[in-house]
Amino acid sequence: MPQPGVSVAEGTVTAWRKQPGDEVAADEPIADIETDKIETEIPAPVSGRLKEILVEPGTTVDVGTVLATIDTGGGAAPEDAEPEPGPSEAEPSEPEPSEPEPSGRGNGDGHGPFVTPVVRRMADEHDVDISQVEGSGRRGRVTKKDLLAYLKQRDEGEAAPPAAKALHMESPYREEAPAPAASGGQELSTMRKRIAEHMVRSLRTAAHCTTIVEADMSRIEAARGKLSYLPFVARATIAALREHPTLNATLDGDRLTVHEEVHLGIAVSLGEEGLIVPVVRDAHELSEEGLATRIRDLAERARSKRLSPEDVGGGTFTITNPGAAGSLLATPIINQPQVAILDLEAVVKRPVVVTDDAGRDSIAIRPMTYLCMSWDHRALDGMLAAQFLSTLKGRLESWA
Amino acid sequence: MRRQAIPELTYLQAISDGLREEMRADESVFCLGEDIGAFGGAFKVTDGFIEEFGEQRVWDTPLAENAIIGTAVGAAVEGLRPVCEMQFADFISCGFDQLVNVAAKLHYRQGLAVPITVRLPSGGGFSGGPFHSQNPEAWFLQAPGLKVVAPSTAEDAKGLISAAIADPNPVVYMEHKHLYRRVKGEVPEGRFQTPLGEARLAREGTDLTVITYGAMVLTALEATDDLDGASVEVLDLRTLYPYDRDAVLASVRKTSKVVVVQEATRSCGVAAEIAALIAEEAFEDLDGPVVRVTTPDVPIPFSPPLERAVLPQVDDVREACRELLAY
Amino acid sequence: MASTPATAKGTAGDTEVREARLTPDDRRALLRYMLLMRATEERALTLYRQGKVPGSFYDGRGQEATAVGPAFALGPRDRACILHRDLGAHLVRGVTPGRVLAQMMGRATGVTGGRDGNMHFADHQLGCVQMVSMLPDMALVTCGLGIAFQMRGEPRVAMTWFGDGATANGQWHEAMNVAGVRQLPVVFVLENNHWAYSTPNEREFAVDPVERAGGYGFPGVKIDGNDVEAVFQAAADACARARSGGGPTLIEAETMRMHGHGAHDDMSYVPKHMFEEWERRDPIRTYEERLSADGIDVEQVRASVAEELERETKWALEQPMPDPHTATLGVFADGDPELGDGQAPWSRWSGEEAGDS
Repeated sequence: MPQPGVSVAEGTVTAWRKQPGDEVAADEPIADIETDKIETEIPAPVSGRLKEILVEPGTTVDVGTVLATIDTGGGAAPEDAEPEPGPSEAEPSEPEPSEPEPSGRGNGDGHGPFVTPVVRRMADEHDVDISQVEGSGRRGRVTKKDLLAYLKQRDEGEAAPPAAKALHMESPYREEAPAPAASGGQELSTMRKRIAEHMVRSLRTAAHCTTIVEADMSRIEAARGKLSYLPFVARATIAALREHPTLNATLDGDRLTVHEEVHLGIAVSLGEEGLIVPVVRDAHELSEEGLATRIRDLAERARSKRLSPEDVGGGTFTITNPGAAGSLLATPIINQPQVAILDLEAVVKRPVVVTDDAGRDSIAIRPMTYLCMSWDHRALDGMLAAQFLSTLKGRLESWA
Repeated sequence: MRRQAIPELTYLQAISDGLREEMRADESVFCLGEDIGAFGGAFKVTDGFIEEFGEQRVWDTPLAENAIIGTAVGAAVEGLRPVCEMQFADFISCGFDQLVNVAAKLHYRQGLAVPITVRLPSGGGFSGGPFHSQNPEAWFLQAPGLKVVAPSTAEDAKGLISAAIADPNPVVYMEHKHLYRRVKGEVPEGRFQTPLGEARLAREGTDLTVITYGAMVLTALEATDDLDGASVEVLDLRTLYPYDRDAVLASVRKTSKVVVVQEATRSCGVAAEIAALIAEEAFEDLDGPVVRVTTPDVPIPFSPPLERAVLPQVDDVREACRELLAY
Repeated sequence: MASTPATAKGTAGDTEVREARLTPDDRRALLRYMLLMRATEERALTLYRQGKVPGSFYDGRGQEATAVGPAFALGPRDRACILHRDLGAHLVRGVTPGRVLAQMMGRATGVTGGRDGNMHFADHQLGCVQMVSMLPDMALVTCGLGIAFQMRGEPRVAMTWFGDGATANGQWHEAMNVAGVRQLPVVFVLENNHWAYSTPNEREFAVDPVERAGGYGFPGVKIDGNDVEAVFQAAADACARARSGGGPTLIEAETMRMHGHGAHDDMSYVPKHMFEEWERRDPIRTYEERLSADGIDVEQVRASVAEELERETKWALEQPMPDPHTATLGVFADGDPELGDGQAPWSRWSGEEAGDS
């Protein structure tokens, strides 16, 4: 359908002057059309045989729609279509790669970091030493969001004693930057809407239960060195899933699929914007070091918005690890269509009763954590959930 | 209480509707321009008008833009309310003298108001070539005494034409041709005005603001609808002069990152003015440079690949926003 | 001195043309306005040379009849777009010499309050629309006024002036064409003073503009522009025709610009003999002779004008300059335009209030 006027968006075929099988000559009128401005005829773009009429008389179609095909005899039939007017499908440009460069703060070279006007102003107003703020912008620049996040942490951190600082150093979760106060409320972002929808759907779909088990992490503590707890818990989880495969499954309506491979979803916080769960594929093939590397990579890519669709699909089990803020217990929401999700909370030193080989009890101080797992009662029962967790606890406590 | 269904009109129908309402309500309102009577206007905005209002009030003028605007000035100071149509915005250059020297300056010099409205079908995107595709609004920002409006929705198209007619000053009404039949929306029945000098939030957001007007509002909304999860605010200026400074500054204060988009050519346009205002009055609210997305300084070419290469496309806006978000 | 017979070109329509009668008072008034124009401009020129008038200075010396005559024919509800050689028209409509002088000196109480200079003024309360520098833009505005009268079916006239040079411009064609196509109730007074700045007629057009009126569909009349009663008569005829739906008229009034284009122009390009010839045809002196011959006391009129000028000048010199803080005000209007009615000193209008013609 051509565009016989600058503002015309559609046209109606009123009559075909040729029928399929007829010969047509280039420029010969082949059809009549009508728009809300004029009636006109369409000349054939090429010579050949009219092969197929695709739009019947009386039909109204958008400008650019293919009306018929003409066989020029060379095998391939060029289409009788007019070029689409207006903006076309231009190549989507490559997204800007984020450059992980050293932070611009306090290099000691005398130049100082680059600071934008709003950051300078807010730092002055709130008496902030910018060199103390972690920068997430280009070249390590401290952005407005970074400063707002710092302010929030500073305000909250003043209440808690220093010893309560979380033990994990490299949690994939970042401090959340609070949104600046907006008057009158505002609409959720697209991402937030998607998360909201998923969460509500999950609660509506699954029969959520949460089972909690306490684990002594002192062996992990001894083994982990520079790594965080998460990769160890992930490794232990995978082993436990081998023993209790029903937990490594997806439920679609009435159809339960127990998976051979473990594709482990790790929840990554995107700060105030929301949450995303990239998947470590074939996680069962990785050691805890391997898991640590993959988790770190996914988290970084998630935060710099470089995840591809393959990174976020196909998970069989999910671990979430929000303990950095010090929470002890949680009842996570299952990541559909999986049947369970494990929440690793804060590791906290507590006095516990330990029994030595001779059966004598004493009090020791151990790094303890609660392993909270929400599971779908449609697919399994409490006994199995508890057994799985017990196995997981066992592996963590006997880590070697 | 059952909700009344609000009719959906195209942008073009909305302009007609607004014009018709004003002509019905006030006998002093009349239309003048080339081919607006018997032919109903090159774009059919005044289709049916001469039948309803007669040839006195729907005047098919000679091919003479200075005459259209000059006679409108004379009629307006004598108490009538002329609505001039330039067949294409580009032809305003043939009537420029009357617009900027007579109409714009008369009140300042003599204290005599000139309540004329000049409708300019503007913009490109359909191989109109250099003389049928321009967005010349910047010229009028340099002629103190003129007001300039540019609706992007059907509702505003109707509201702003009524407001333009009611305003006792010369108002240049930029109607973007590309929006005529492509934009549809709910348009309240009866007479109503969209206030001049007031911008509209097409979408609220927190991470970045796109400030724009006319056809580019649609481009901006599409470009930032699903942009890596970012929350992008889109501010539709609606009035280009005098524009809504407060709305601009409030948005900058909120998001600290601004992309200004215009279909007009780059140098010294509305975007340059907005960017300068922000630099002067919101410097300490900025977390990144003010970026402009515009057509380069070039006459608008005819062939589709050339035209597409110069007019801002959805991807151009998306890229500019993406870069600024990562700054 | 006999006036050149009026030659009507094109169609005159089937309208009845009332003969324009001038009473002795009317004739005194015609002289008075011409004297007032000259005296005001002479005073203004002095002030200009004394540095009290900023910018440039333009006058219409020698063109007093073409300024006063046509304006005198206008009724209170008629409208005018007056040009820079036609101070007399402003005076006929009711602007006082003092306000004119204050205007030229850029005072706050000048007609434009300092917003525009020299002859770029008009009092909207007296039904006049202010000229712009681009010529003949006002001819189109005049057509617009005529359109308003025509649409409302009112027996009113819009009048404007322009010079020989302006007829070369595209907007003159647009105005003449629109006036003819719609047969608007307008009167175009073409003051052919032979010089568009330094450009003589033969460089400005190939055909006398009065000949072209027929080409636009209405009459062109050529008259002696220095005979105020002939000019008045032609204008009154044209107004009567316009008022009764007979359409436009182009009146070409032949006259001479006795001073430079502006005070900065010494007119060295004008052959001396032209000055001598036209000095002999001075509109004021020749009219004074005529009136005296008809028993009218010309001296009394002169004396009254002189005394008025003294009074008005004194007032003007006392007027304050505008407050700089007001410079950016008034770009936009808050309310609708109000064009008032002008004074109409012709005896025909006495007893006929605004709205009655």
